[in-house]
Amino acid sequence: MKFRNDDDNTVNDTREEVREIAEALSLYRSAMQHIAEREAARPFVVGRRAERSHRFGLLLAPALAAAVAAAVLVPVYGHFGHHDGAGAVPTVKIAQQNGNDTHAAVDDTALMNQIDSEVSEDVPDALRPLADLSDQTTTTSVVSEKTNATQE
Amino acid sequence: MATTPANMLSGGQGAGSELAVEKREQAMLELADFDEVVRVYRPRILRFLLSSLTDRDAAESLTQECFMKAWSARHQFRGDSSLSTWLTRIAVNLMRDHLRSRSLRFWQKTRGSSLDVMDISDWVPDGRGTPESLAVARDRVAAVWEAVKSLSAQQRTVFVLRFVEELELDEIATTIGMNLSTVKSHLYRALAIIRERMGGTK
Repeated sequence: MKFRNDDDNTVNDTREEVREIAEALSLYRSAMQHIAEREAARPFVVGRRAERSHRFGLLLAPALAAAVAAAVLVPVYGHFGHHDGAGAVPTVKIAQQNGNDTHAAVDDTALMNQIDSEVSEDVPDALRPLADLSDQTTTTSVVSEKTNATQE
Repeated sequence: MATTPANMLSGGQGAGSELAVEKREQAMLELADFDEVVRVYRPRILRFLLSSLTDRDAAESLTQECFMKAWSARHQFRGDSSLSTWLTRIAVNLMRDHLRSRSLRFWQKTRGSSLDVMDISDWVPDGRGTPESLAVARDRVAAVWEAVKSLSAQQRTVFVLRFVEELELDEIATTIGMNLSTVKSHLYRALAIIRERMGGTK
Protein backbone atom coordinates (compact mmCIF):
# COMPACT_ATOMS: atom_id res chain seq x y z
CA MET A 1 0.00 0.00 0.00
CA LYS A 2 2.91 2.26 0.81
CA PHE A 3 4.52 1.50 -2.57
CA ARG A 4 1.26 2.32 -4.28
CA ASN A 5 1.23 5.75 -2.60
CA ASP A 6 4.84 6.44 -3.69
CA ASP A 7 3.97 5.54 -7.29
CA ASP A 8 0.91 7.76 -7.19
CA ASN A 9 3.00 10.64 -5.90
CA THR A 10 5.57 10.15 -8.66
CA VAL A 11 2.87 10.07 -11.31
CA ASN A 12 1.26 13.16 -9.85
CA ASP A 13 4.61 14.99 -9.80
CA THR A 14 5.24 14.06 -13.42
CA ARG A 15 1.76 15.18 -14.41
CA GLU A 16 2.25 18.43 -12.58
CA GLU A 17 5.62 18.98 -14.29
CA VAL A 18 4.16 18.20 -17.72
CA ARG A 19 1.25 20.55 -17.04
CA GLU A 20 3.63 23.34 -16.04
CA ILE A 21 5.76 22.82 -19.14
CA ALA A 22 2.69 22.74 -21.35
CA GLU A 23 1.46 25.97 -19.78
CA ALA A 24 4.88 27.59 -20.17
CA LEU A 25 5.01 26.55 -23.83
CA SER A 26 1.54 27.95 -24.36
CA LEU A 27 2.56 31.26 -22.79
CA TYR A 28 5.72 31.30 -24.86
CA ARG A 29 3.68 30.75 -28.04
CA SER A 30 1.30 33.55 -27.10
CA ALA A 31 4.20 35.88 -26.36
CA MET A 32 5.88 35.12 -29.68
CA GLN A 33 2.65 35.62 -31.56
CA HIS A 34 2.07 38.92 -29.83
CA ILE A 35 5.60 40.15 -30.56
CA ALA A 36 5.42 39.00 -34.19
CA GLU A 37 2.12 40.85 -34.64
CA ARG A 38 3.66 43.98 -33.19
CA GLU A 39 6.69 43.66 -35.48
CA ALA A 40 4.49 42.91 -38.50
CA ALA A 41 2.58 46.14 -37.91
CA ARG A 42 5.75 48.12 -38.54
CA PRO A 43 6.65 49.41 -42.04
CA PHE A 44 7.59 46.60 -44.34
CA VAL A 45 9.80 48.18 -46.98
CA VAL A 46 12.50 49.95 -45.05
CA GLY A 47 13.91 47.98 -42.15
CA ARG A 48 16.10 49.33 -39.46
CA ARG A 49 18.92 47.22 -40.78
CA ALA A 50 18.69 49.08 -44.06
CA GLU A 51 18.68 52.38 -42.18
CA ARG A 52 21.64 51.34 -40.12
CA SER A 53 23.56 50.07 -43.12
CA HIS A 54 22.69 53.33 -44.85
CA ARG A 55 24.06 55.27 -41.89
CA PHE A 56 27.10 53.02 -41.91
CA GLY A 57 27.46 53.69 -45.61
CA LEU A 58 27.18 57.44 -45.12
CA LEU A 59 30.00 57.38 -42.62
CA LEU A 60 32.31 54.86 -44.13
CA ALA A 61 31.58 55.11 -47.84
CA PRO A 62 33.54 58.35 -48.41
CA ALA A 63 36.52 57.05 -46.48
CA LEU A 64 36.35 53.74 -48.31
CA ALA A 65 35.99 55.49 -51.67
CA ALA A 66 38.99 57.71 -50.90
CA ALA A 67 41.06 54.70 -49.90
CA VAL A 68 40.09 52.81 -53.04
CA ALA A 69 40.75 55.86 -55.20
CA ALA A 70 44.13 56.31 -53.58
CA ALA A 71 44.91 52.64 -53.98
CA VAL A 72 44.03 52.81 -57.68
CA LEU A 73 45.30 56.25 -58.60
CA VAL A 74 48.66 56.15 -56.87
CA PRO A 75 49.94 53.14 -58.82
CA VAL A 76 48.38 54.47 -62.05
CA TYR A 77 49.93 57.86 -61.50
CA GLY A 78 53.17 56.20 -60.58
CA HIS A 79 52.92 54.03 -63.65
CA PHE A 80 52.34 56.97 -66.01
CA GLY A 81 54.75 59.10 -64.09
CA HIS A 82 57.28 56.37 -64.42
CA HIS A 83 56.49 56.07 -68.12
CA ASP A 84 56.71 59.83 -68.60
CA GLY A 85 59.96 59.88 -66.71
CA ALA A 86 61.16 56.93 -68.65
CA GLY A 87 60.13 58.67 -71.86
CA ALA A 88 61.79 61.85 -70.77
CA VAL A 89 64.99 60.26 -69.67
CA PRO A 90 65.75 58.57 -72.98
CA THR A 91 64.91 61.79 -74.78
CA VAL A 92 67.32 63.60 -72.61
CA LYS A 93 69.73 60.78 -72.97
CA ILE A 94 69.27 60.79 -76.73
CA ALA A 95 69.63 64.52 -76.71
CA GLN A 96 72.64 64.15 -74.52
CA GLN A 97 73.92 61.41 -76.74
CA ASN A 98 73.31 63.57 -79.79
CA GLY A 99 74.99 66.42 -78.03
CA ASN A 100 77.82 64.19 -77.04
CA ASP A 101 78.07 62.86 -80.55
CA THR A 102 78.20 66.39 -81.95
CA HIS A 103 80.58 67.36 -79.28
CA ALA A 104 82.54 64.19 -79.92
CA ALA A 105 82.50 64.82 -83.65
CA VAL A 106 83.84 68.30 -83.07
CA ASP A 107 86.39 66.98 -80.66
CA ASP A 108 87.39 64.26 -83.05
CA THR A 109 87.82 66.72 -85.87
CA ALA A 110 89.81 69.03 -83.69
CA LEU A 111 91.82 66.12 -82.44
CA MET A 112 92.49 64.89 -85.96
CA ASN A 113 93.46 68.36 -87.06
CA GLN A 114 95.61 68.66 -84.01
CA ILE A 115 97.26 65.34 -84.71
CA ASP A 116 97.74 66.17 -88.36
CA SER A 117 99.23 69.47 -87.54
CA GLU A 118 101.42 68.03 -84.86
CA VAL A 119 102.56 65.08 -86.96
CA SER A 120 103.18 67.20 -89.99
CA GLU A 121 105.00 69.72 -87.89
CA ASP A 122 108.65 70.02 -88.46
CA VAL A 123 110.83 68.07 -86.19
CA PRO A 124 112.12 70.28 -83.43
CA ASP A 125 115.62 71.57 -83.79
CA ALA A 126 116.86 69.70 -80.83
CA LEU A 127 116.03 66.43 -82.53
CA ARG A 128 117.30 67.44 -85.96
CA PRO A 129 120.52 65.42 -85.77
CA LEU A 130 118.57 62.32 -85.08
CA ALA A 131 116.27 63.17 -87.87
CA ASP A 132 119.22 63.54 -90.19
CA LEU A 133 120.64 60.33 -88.94
CA SER A 134 117.44 58.56 -89.50
CA ASP A 135 117.30 60.09 -92.98
CA GLN A 136 120.74 58.88 -93.71
CA THR A 137 120.02 55.45 -92.36
CA THR A 138 117.00 55.27 -94.44
CA THR A 139 118.80 56.46 -97.51
CA THR A 140 121.65 54.06 -96.89
CA SER A 141 119.39 51.17 -96.39
CA VAL A 142 117.48 52.02 -99.52
CA VAL A 143 120.66 52.35 -101.53
CA SER A 144 122.04 49.09 -100.18
CA GLU A 145 118.85 47.36 -101.03
CA LYS A 146 118.97 48.72 -104.54
CA THR A 147 122.57 47.61 -104.87
CA ASN A 148 121.75 44.13 -103.70
CA ALA A 149 118.95 43.97 -106.10
CA THR A 150 121.15 45.03 -108.99
CA GLN A 151 123.80 42.52 -108.10
CA GLU A 152 121.30 39.80 -107.98
CA MET B 1 -13.85 5.14 -71.84
CA ALA B 2 -14.10 1.47 -71.04
CA THR B 3 -14.05 0.45 -67.42
CA THR B 4 -11.17 -1.95 -66.87
CA PRO B 5 -10.21 -3.83 -63.72
CA ALA B 6 -7.17 -1.63 -63.49
CA ASN B 7 -9.35 1.51 -63.53
CA MET B 8 -11.61 0.01 -60.93
CA LEU B 9 -8.67 -0.87 -58.72
CA SER B 10 -7.18 2.62 -59.03
CA GLY B 11 -10.50 4.29 -58.40
CA GLY B 12 -9.40 5.48 -54.95
CA GLN B 13 -6.09 6.76 -56.31
CA GLY B 14 -7.95 8.63 -59.06
CA ALA B 15 -10.06 10.43 -56.48
CA GLY B 16 -6.92 11.21 -54.53
CA SER B 17 -5.14 12.57 -57.58
CA GLU B 18 -8.20 14.65 -58.44
CA LEU B 19 -8.10 16.10 -54.96
CA ALA B 20 -4.40 16.79 -55.36
CA VAL B 21 -5.00 18.51 -58.69
CA GLU B 22 -7.75 20.57 -57.11
CA LYS B 23 -5.50 21.61 -54.24
CA ARG B 24 -2.72 22.43 -56.67
CA GLU B 25 -5.02 24.60 -58.77
CA GLN B 26 -6.20 26.34 -55.63
CA ALA B 27 -2.62 27.01 -54.57
CA MET B 28 -1.79 28.35 -58.04
CA LEU B 29 -4.82 30.63 -57.93
CA GLU B 30 -3.79 31.79 -54.48
CA LEU B 31 -0.30 32.54 -55.74
CA ALA B 32 -1.66 34.59 -58.64
CA ASP B 33 -2.66 37.38 -56.25
CA PHE B 34 0.72 37.92 -54.70
CA ASP B 35 -0.27 40.98 -52.68
CA GLU B 36 -2.80 38.85 -50.91
CA VAL B 37 -0.19 36.12 -50.38
CA VAL B 38 2.10 38.64 -48.70
CA ARG B 39 -0.72 40.00 -46.58
CA VAL B 40 -1.83 36.57 -45.40
CA TYR B 41 1.50 34.80 -44.93
CA ARG B 42 3.87 37.59 -43.92
CA PRO B 43 2.93 37.56 -40.20
CA ARG B 44 3.45 33.82 -40.06
CA ILE B 45 6.84 33.88 -41.82
CA LEU B 46 7.97 36.81 -39.68
CA ARG B 47 6.87 35.01 -36.53
CA PHE B 48 8.76 31.87 -37.49
CA LEU B 49 11.94 33.81 -38.31
CA LEU B 50 11.65 36.00 -35.25
CA SER B 51 11.18 32.98 -32.98
CA SER B 52 14.07 31.16 -34.61
CA LEU B 53 16.59 34.00 -34.90
CA THR B 54 15.46 36.21 -31.98
CA ASP B 55 16.66 39.18 -34.04
CA ARG B 56 14.13 41.72 -35.28
CA ASP B 57 16.22 43.14 -38.11
CA ALA B 58 17.32 39.75 -39.40
CA ALA B 59 13.76 38.43 -39.21
CA GLU B 60 12.36 41.44 -41.10
CA SER B 61 15.10 41.34 -43.68
CA LEU B 62 14.74 37.60 -44.31
CA THR B 63 10.95 37.90 -44.46
CA GLN B 64 11.29 40.46 -47.23
CA GLU B 65 13.82 38.29 -48.98
CA CYS B 66 11.57 35.27 -48.62
CA PHE B 67 8.73 36.97 -50.48
CA MET B 68 11.07 38.38 -53.08
CA LYS B 69 12.39 34.89 -53.75
CA ALA B 70 8.88 33.50 -53.81
CA TRP B 71 7.87 36.18 -56.31
CA SER B 72 10.79 35.48 -58.60
CA ALA B 73 10.31 31.69 -58.33
CA ARG B 74 6.51 31.70 -58.48
CA HIS B 75 6.56 30.05 -61.91
CA GLN B 76 8.49 27.12 -60.44
CA PHE B 77 5.85 26.47 -57.79
CA ARG B 78 4.12 23.27 -58.86
CA GLY B 79 1.63 23.12 -56.05
CA ASP B 80 2.93 19.79 -54.73
CA SER B 81 2.90 21.26 -51.24
CA SER B 82 0.73 23.97 -49.76
CA LEU B 83 1.72 27.59 -50.30
CA SER B 84 2.40 27.92 -46.60
CA THR B 85 4.80 24.96 -46.63
CA TRP B 86 6.54 26.31 -49.74
CA LEU B 87 7.04 29.75 -48.21
CA THR B 88 8.22 28.29 -44.91
CA ARG B 89 10.70 26.11 -46.78
CA ILE B 90 12.11 29.20 -48.51
CA ALA B 91 12.34 30.91 -45.12
CA VAL B 92 14.14 27.91 -43.59
CA ASN B 93 16.69 27.90 -46.43
CA LEU B 94 17.26 31.63 -46.07
CA MET B 95 17.70 31.22 -42.34
CA ARG B 96 20.28 28.47 -42.85
CA ASP B 97 22.25 30.72 -45.20
CA HIS B 98 21.95 33.58 -42.74
CA LEU B 99 23.20 31.48 -39.82
CA ARG B 100 26.05 30.15 -41.92
CA SER B 101 27.14 33.64 -42.92
CA ARG B 102 26.70 34.88 -39.35
CA SER B 103 28.96 32.13 -38.07
CA LEU B 104 31.59 33.36 -40.53
CA ARG B 105 31.14 36.90 -39.19
CA PHE B 106 31.97 35.73 -35.70
CA TRP B 107 33.28 39.14 -34.63
CA GLN B 108 29.79 40.63 -34.84
CA LYS B 109 28.78 39.83 -31.31
CA THR B 110 26.59 42.79 -30.55
CA ARG B 111 23.15 42.82 -32.03
CA GLY B 112 21.18 45.87 -31.10
CA SER B 113 18.00 44.52 -32.61
CA SER B 114 17.95 41.18 -30.82
CA LEU B 115 14.88 40.34 -28.79
CA ASP B 116 15.43 40.52 -25.09
CA VAL B 117 14.05 38.14 -22.53
CA MET B 118 12.22 41.13 -21.04
CA ASP B 119 10.39 41.62 -24.35
CA ILE B 120 9.04 38.12 -23.99
CA SER B 121 8.42 37.78 -20.30
CA ASP B 122 6.83 41.22 -20.05
CA TRP B 123 4.15 40.00 -22.33
CA VAL B 124 2.17 37.71 -20.09
CA PRO B 125 -1.54 38.37 -19.76
CA ASP B 126 -2.44 40.18 -16.57
CA GLY B 127 -5.60 38.13 -16.18
CA ARG B 128 -3.87 35.98 -13.59
CA GLY B 129 -5.11 35.88 -10.07
CA THR B 130 -2.28 37.19 -7.98
CA PRO B 131 0.95 39.06 -8.60
CA GLU B 132 2.79 35.95 -7.45
CA SER B 133 1.19 33.76 -10.11
CA LEU B 134 1.96 36.45 -12.72
CA ALA B 135 5.60 36.50 -11.63
CA VAL B 136 5.76 32.69 -11.78
CA ALA B 137 4.30 32.73 -15.29
CA ARG B 138 6.83 35.33 -16.41
CA ASP B 139 9.66 33.26 -14.95
CA ARG B 140 8.46 30.22 -16.84
CA VAL B 141 8.25 32.06 -20.15
CA ALA B 142 11.72 33.48 -19.56
CA ALA B 143 13.01 29.99 -18.79
CA VAL B 144 11.54 28.62 -22.02
CA TRP B 145 13.01 31.54 -23.92
CA GLU B 146 16.50 30.94 -22.53
CA ALA B 147 16.20 27.21 -23.12
CA VAL B 148 15.13 27.73 -26.75
CA LYS B 149 18.11 30.00 -27.30
CA SER B 150 20.42 27.24 -26.10
CA LEU B 151 19.07 24.72 -28.65
CA SER B 152 20.97 23.84 -31.78
CA ALA B 153 19.73 25.42 -35.01
CA GLN B 154 17.95 22.28 -36.17
CA GLN B 155 16.41 21.57 -32.78
CA ARG B 156 15.21 25.17 -32.57
CA THR B 157 13.71 25.07 -36.06
CA VAL B 158 11.80 21.89 -35.30
CA PHE B 159 10.72 23.20 -31.90
CA VAL B 160 9.47 26.52 -33.30
CA LEU B 161 7.61 24.86 -36.15
CA ARG B 162 5.93 22.51 -33.70
CA PHE B 163 5.19 24.70 -30.69
CA VAL B 164 4.92 28.19 -32.18
CA GLU B 165 3.64 27.47 -35.68
CA GLU B 166 1.77 24.36 -34.49
CA LEU B 167 2.61 22.28 -37.54
CA GLU B 168 2.14 18.53 -37.59
CA LEU B 169 5.28 16.42 -37.52
CA ASP B 170 4.92 15.26 -41.12
CA GLU B 171 4.44 18.87 -42.23
CA ILE B 172 7.64 19.79 -40.41
CA ALA B 173 9.45 16.91 -42.12
CA THR B 174 8.24 18.12 -45.52
CA THR B 175 9.08 21.74 -44.79
CA ILE B 176 12.65 21.25 -43.66
CA GLY B 177 13.37 18.19 -45.80
CA MET B 178 14.05 15.73 -43.00
CA ASN B 179 12.88 12.22 -42.24
CA LEU B 180 9.99 12.00 -39.82
CA SER B 181 12.17 10.03 -37.40
CA THR B 182 14.86 12.73 -37.50
CA VAL B 183 12.25 15.37 -36.78
CA LYS B 184 10.99 13.35 -33.82
CA SER B 185 14.54 12.92 -32.57
CA HIS B 186 15.26 16.66 -32.71
CA LEU B 187 11.97 17.46 -31.02
CA TYR B 188 12.59 14.89 -28.28
CA ARG B 189 16.04 16.33 -27.54
CA ALA B 190 14.74 19.89 -27.62
CA LEU B 191 11.99 19.06 -25.15
CA ALA B 192 14.43 17.23 -22.91
CA ILE B 193 16.64 20.34 -22.75
CA ILE B 194 13.66 22.61 -22.08
CA ARG B 195 12.32 20.28 -19.44
CA GLU B 196 15.71 20.18 -17.76
CA ARG B 197 15.90 23.98 -17.77
CA MET B 198 12.36 24.28 -16.52
CA GLY B 199 13.11 21.81 -13.74
CA GLY B 200 16.00 24.02 -12.72
CA THR B 201 13.70 26.98 -12.30
CA LYS B 202 11.19 25.21 -10.14
